[in-house]
Amino acid sequence: MGKKKFLKDNIGFLFIIPWLIGFLVFKLYPFASSLYYSFTDYQLFNGVSRYTLENYVDIFTTPKILRALKVTFQYSFITVPLKLVAALFIAYILNFKIKGVNLFRTAYYIPSILGGSVAIAVLWKAIFKDDGLLNTLLAIFGINGPSWLSDPSYALFVICLLRVWQFGSAMVIFLAALKGVPTELYEAATIDGAGKWRQFFSITVPLITPIIFYNLVTQICQAFQEFNGPYIITQGGPRNSTTLISLLIYNSAFKNYEMGMASAMAWVLFIILMVFTVIAFVSQKYWVYYSDEEGR
Amino acid sequence: MKKVKKIVALSVAAVMTMGTAACGGQAPEEKQSSNQSVEQAPAEPEPAEAQVPSAEADATTDSAQNDGSYEACTLSFSWWGGESRHTATLDAVKAFEEKYPGIKVESTYGAWSGWEDSMATMFATKTAPDVNQINWNWLDSYSSDGSAFLDLNQVSDVLDLGQYSQEALGQCTVAGELQAVPVSMTGRIFYWNKSTFDKAGIDVPETLEELKSAGETFKSQLGDDYYPIALGEYDRMILMVYYLESVYGKPWVENDALQYTAEEIQEGLQFIQSLEDAHVTPSIQTITGDGAESLDKNPKWMNGTYAGIFEWDSSASKFEAALEEGQEFVVGTYFTDMGSHQGGYSKVSLAFAISESCAHPKEAAMLLNFLLNEDEGTTIMASERGIPLSAAALANCQSKGLLNAIVAEANEKVLDWVTFPLDFKFEAATLKNSDGVYYDVMAGLSYGDYDMAEAASILIDGIEEELSK
Amino acid sequence: MQKKKRLGDIMKYLVLIAVGLVMVYPLLWMIGATFKSNVEIFSGIGLIPKNPTLDGYKNAMNSYGGDINIWKAMLNTYSYVIPKVIFTLVSSTLTAYGFGRFKFKGRGILFAVLMSTLFLPQVVLNVPQFILYTKLNWVDSKLYLPLIVPTLFATDTYFVFMLVQFLRNIPKELEEAAKIDGCNVMQTLVSVIVPMLLPALVSCALFQFMWSSNDFMGPLLYVKTPARYPAAIFVKLSMDADNGFEWNRVLATSLISIVPSLVVFFLAQDQFVEGIAAGGVKG
Repeated sequence: MGKKKFLKDNIGFLFIIPWLIGFLVFKLYPFASSLYYSFTDYQLFNGVSRYTLENYVDIFTTPKILRALKVTFQYSFITVPLKLVAALFIAYILNFKIKGVNLFRTAYYIPSILGGSVAIAVLWKAIFKDDGLLNTLLAIFGINGPSWLSDPSYALFVICLLRVWQFGSAMVIFLAALKGVPTELYEAATIDGAGKWRQFFSITVPLITPIIFYNLVTQICQAFQEFNGPYIITQGGPRNSTTLISLLIYNSAFKNYEMGMASAMAWVLFIILMVFTVIAFVSQKYWVYYSDEEGR
Repeated sequence: MKKVKKIVALSVAAVMTMGTAACGGQAPEEKQSSNQSVEQAPAEPEPAEAQVPSAEADATTDSAQNDGSYEACTLSFSWWGGESRHTATLDAVKAFEEKYPGIKVESTYGAWSGWEDSMATMFATKTAPDVNQINWNWLDSYSSDGSAFLDLNQVSDVLDLGQYSQEALGQCTVAGELQAVPVSMTGRIFYWNKSTFDKAGIDVPETLEELKSAGETFKSQLGDDYYPIALGEYDRMILMVYYLESVYGKPWVENDALQYTAEEIQEGLQFIQSLEDAHVTPSIQTITGDGAESLDKNPKWMNGTYAGIFEWDSSASKFEAALEEGQEFVVGTYFTDMGSHQGGYSKVSLAFAISESCAHPKEAAMLLNFLLNEDEGTTIMASERGIPLSAAALANCQSKGLLNAIVAEANEKVLDWVTFPLDFKFEAATLKNSDGVYYDVMAGLSYGDYDMAEAASILIDGIEEELSK
Repeated sequence: MQKKKRLGDIMKYLVLIAVGLVMVYPLLWMIGATFKSNVEIFSGIGLIPKNPTLDGYKNAMNSYGGDINIWKAMLNTYSYVIPKVIFTLVSSTLTAYGFGRFKFKGRGILFAVLMSTLFLPQVVLNVPQFILYTKLNWVDSKLYLPLIVPTLFATDTYFVFMLVQFLRNIPKELEEAAKIDGCNVMQTLVSVIVPMLLPALVSCALFQFMWSSNDFMGPLLYVKTPARYPAAIFVKLSMDADNGFEWNRVLATSLISIVPSLVVFFLAQDQFVEGIAAGGVKG
């Protein structure tokens, strides 16, 4: 009997065993090593010669790294909200019965499929270069466009826009969530005379808050680890204005072979993301509604 | 449930042993190698050391090859490059396998992008292929203690080192070992788009004075967008070193010490900035604003708006091919009025190395000798990796007319002119990368973020920090 | 009122089409550029090639020493992508079910551990992971083991977390009803939960399909034999930093290699049609 109760209490654990094994075998060792490296002067080809806290001290005293952290925060605070709003808005529209909706959905997802391909790099630069498409268009309206790619105050904007433009994945997840919103609720609301926008904010949004929450957390994680955009378009320039922290981590790991330093930066990023995620999880009780929770 | 616990316990144990095994296996090795590097650091590569075995090689090569004995084995071989290099190398490997039945070569090849990451990972874990195409600076960054690559003097009975100049072999000698065999040498030289200069009504510059006055001529004759030469950040750095060496006649770095004072470097920076001020070269901001990844992909190079570059000899065909039709591309000459010395440097562009972990060094050396020195191999490889340095290969390719005329012309000019050595650290990632010191200094100067004194001190600090590593 | 509605509809379409053009333009440009010469590709961003050439496609068909060509590379890609997708779906669903529906000792901590695997950038994990797979002797495995096996164990946290969130949005009453009908937990999962999760599962499958097809670093580190290269690496084979790119060819190979992703997305998206199933069950 005791055995049976034990099993009943822990049946959930049985389901997560595969994940736990996977974690112990494939993730724990790499994670633990990188944490260990972060306290050493590990250089890929010279190995570890001493243990040190210097990496962490350096991170908070090197202007270049501090700048990269600042730029990463800016990037994330611009990209995440814009991307989420765009994805949710478009998903909401595409959830209506519209002619040719399949084509639209595919069209909106195309940028995400193209990802970081060479075509994007070439085209994106062609749009934003000094005599590119955007400035040519602006000139028609008599506006003298700035140097998007070479002016340090605009370049980050170009990188942000690239990621916002690739809102397709977030949109697909919202579409999947919207499918779960029962149509009866809309019908009832329409009878009550609520407009589309009121329906959106009073029915749709509350019902999909768990998914908004998911997209928020994962988009934050992705934004703080963004690497591809600056790597293919600006290489971190001009004047380091688009050097995100992941680009620095990549360079120190695989260009300078300073694994110790790279790991330390990665763990600082880890802590930052952990703080944000904890805040997000704590904030849930004020705005996220789960159907499986009782008493709501 | 007990079973579950057991499984979990077992897998935890498995991971633990795996983890400790990895640590245990690695740590002593690493310690050892770092000790070695300390011990061997003072031992500078002595040219004499490289000379002796190669002289021996001359004497023994024939007998060793006549003997012709080898073991049947499988060799792994890696390189990066583009399609034509892949095809040529695969063909050459096939010819090698036919010539030496029993030796099988497993090739792995790819594009440059990402290749270095993958190779670094393999060398760090001692799992690299037997024979590898390497970049010259890998010798320093992967194997400064000689632990990654085999000392090729050990296989000089099979690999004919007599085909290479002592100077070139010296560049591949690190920690007292000849760690790689150089394939080709390269250096920077001027190239001009003659058509644009014709349009401006002047000849291509042969002196610094002519270049400087070309700036004004371009501006007045062709317009503000036209420049006689386009120089990116790294181009500027190399050009500055060329200038300073021409003026002062001393190498940039020698014996791990920067040979130039802050005042001298400021003079060099001043020189670079004066080119920008005189409309000779566009500002870094202008070049960045063109939205091209590199100059050969810059529409302004393609259509002749930028009429010159300071580039590697080996890049000539790439830049020539990028031009729109009807533009004439010529190799320039070094400026004689830059100073009283012949500044500039040449360096090994690519090399082949045998991994220390290779189980069949002799057969690996046979493969290299076939690819680099034997007529059959060099005919197929031609100039896929630059103008061959091996005397035999060069003679063979020349007699068969296999070399690109422009590249060959540029290569010859470079090797005839330059006199200075290059230090490995010049190409260290912390300096040379797009987020490195050179970019910071040159762009900072051009954007007006730094004055000469600041720029010079940032440059000196960066270089000295790298040299002290 | 009618008029206002029609005006609204027109506006809606105008917005959709305008945004849609911005989204599709790069693909259209890419298609056009596969027929252009190098010079033309960089001289403007028009769609229609002035002097169309088929060289890009002709060269895209080249094979390297008989080792590998575009078709074989794509076959290679999908020979590990499809198992990855299936394994990910199964293992992630199980894990998400465990975390999302049951209480057990240590659940909070373990879920925190699960989430924390999202926080570390992959590049610092590459070397230790490579050491691990070298010890397991999986590097350059014929079966792409380092790429596939981890997905058996729900190692892609994005998917687990996503399914947990979707799961928690499904009311519990359904499962309780199933329980009363005598279903055990496994039967409940298969007959009640999975159908409700279907849109989310389709999204997971789509993302895993596309991300794995695009992944470059994984194959670069773990696939060494050219005959086993996937498309992501094949596309780069023709790129030569030293001698310059044939851009039309590079773009043509990229284009061919993303066609399956486009088709799969187009077909799978029927799953996102306005809520029908959900509305029916909840009532």
